[in-house]
Amino acid sequence: MSAVVSDSIGPNPSTMGEEKAAALDSIRRAQSGDVDAFELLYREYAGRVYALCLRLKGGDSADATDLMQDVFVKAWRRLETFRGDCAFSSWLHRLAVNTMLENVRSDIRRIARVLPMDDTSRLAGAARSSGIDLKMDMEDAIASLPRGARLAFVLHDVEGYQHQEIAEQLSVSVGTVKAQLHRARRLLRERLER
Amino acid sequence: MTHDVIRHLLDDYVTGELTEDARALVADHVATCAICAAEVESLNRIIARAAELPKSIDPPAEAWSNIRAAIERDKEAVTAHRVSAGVWRRPYMLAAAAVLLVILSSGATAIYMRGRTSGGDSSRSATLNAGNGATPASLAAFTIEENNYLRNVAVLQDLLDQQEASLAPETVAQLKASLRTIDEAILEARNALARDPANKMLIEMLSGTYRQKVDLLRRTAEMTRGS
Repeated sequence: MSAVVSDSIGPNPSTMGEEKAAALDSIRRAQSGDVDAFELLYREYAGRVYALCLRLKGGDSADATDLMQDVFVKAWRRLETFRGDCAFSSWLHRLAVNTMLENVRSDIRRIARVLPMDDTSRLAGAARSSGIDLKMDMEDAIASLPRGARLAFVLHDVEGYQHQEIAEQLSVSVGTVKAQLHRARRLLRERLER
Repeated sequence: MTHDVIRHLLDDYVTGELTEDARALVADHVATCAICAAEVESLNRIIARAAELPKSIDPPAEAWSNIRAAIERDKEAVTAHRVSAGVWRRPYMLAAAAVLLVILSSGATAIYMRGRTSGGDSSRSATLNAGNGATPASLAAFTIEENNYLRNVAVLQDLLDQQEASLAPETVAQLKASLRTIDEAILEARNALARDPANKMLIEMLSGTYRQKVDLLRRTAEMTRGS
């Protein structure tokens, strides 16, 4: 499958004007109901969205796949609402975070599944099932973080969101985001450098 | 600033999120404090490792086919809705509809009532399955049953479209709101089933939701006939 867009998918808002012509064409065709054009967008962005989902879900590849599928089905349904106020990639990222948060809110049991720091039994399995062969110790450590700290760390230090953007997405204060980020880094240092 | 105050600024210091004045103060302290210097070094390592993580990870190969299947169902549902909403508004179709509705709605009602009388509880036993009325055991069996549901829903929906003028506006609004809720439930269950095709609970739930929709339409149609 050919790549539609090769530039960054990061959170820094950019306008639709910065999307490449091929991506714009695919977006417009998909907005008019062309599923093949939507598949081009999927092929271009799925890797980035899946990486985000995998980290948001603490390395659980089955949960991450479910989340990513939900994100793209929602993206299809809401495609008409995409007006190019931000990059399509940023729109997808926001949709992924919001969908993840909706899932958490709608299923309180998911919160109970968050692992304590000293539980490493699931982490190795999650890492193996995710198919990642790079930086496994770091991925494991991120997956082991409490949910709030993990969200803050993944969105800020991995994805590059600003404190204010994360605060808005998570509906918390900037101070809370900073506190969770500090906690995440402290826990990671303890785990990775002890 | 004291050491304890400075330590709380180190996160923002390493990510360059301090004002110039604060950054200078922290830098001066770090230059003379071995503890803070070590913490800065450690934070920088963590942040650098986070930046090195792969930005893209290939999702499972089957993910797109699941997404595409859900999208195709969405498209079919929208198309069916547009067809049923539009075709009966054409005047020349109304005469034909009158004949068809008598035949088809009688058939739908007969099938419905057969399920109703064989079971007991109306909402659970009412089925438009042309077979034995039981919840399908597999996705393949359900797909066949689903076509029956959709045909009969279309018949009842069209019947109601014809009779809408005889209902109070608030009743119509309530009916439409209820149908929207049921349709959303159907869509959600359908998407869940796409992800987990072997889940019999989902098949049962989806069948039940279709029965609920048919039951609502049938009751409303009977109400309009009686009014």
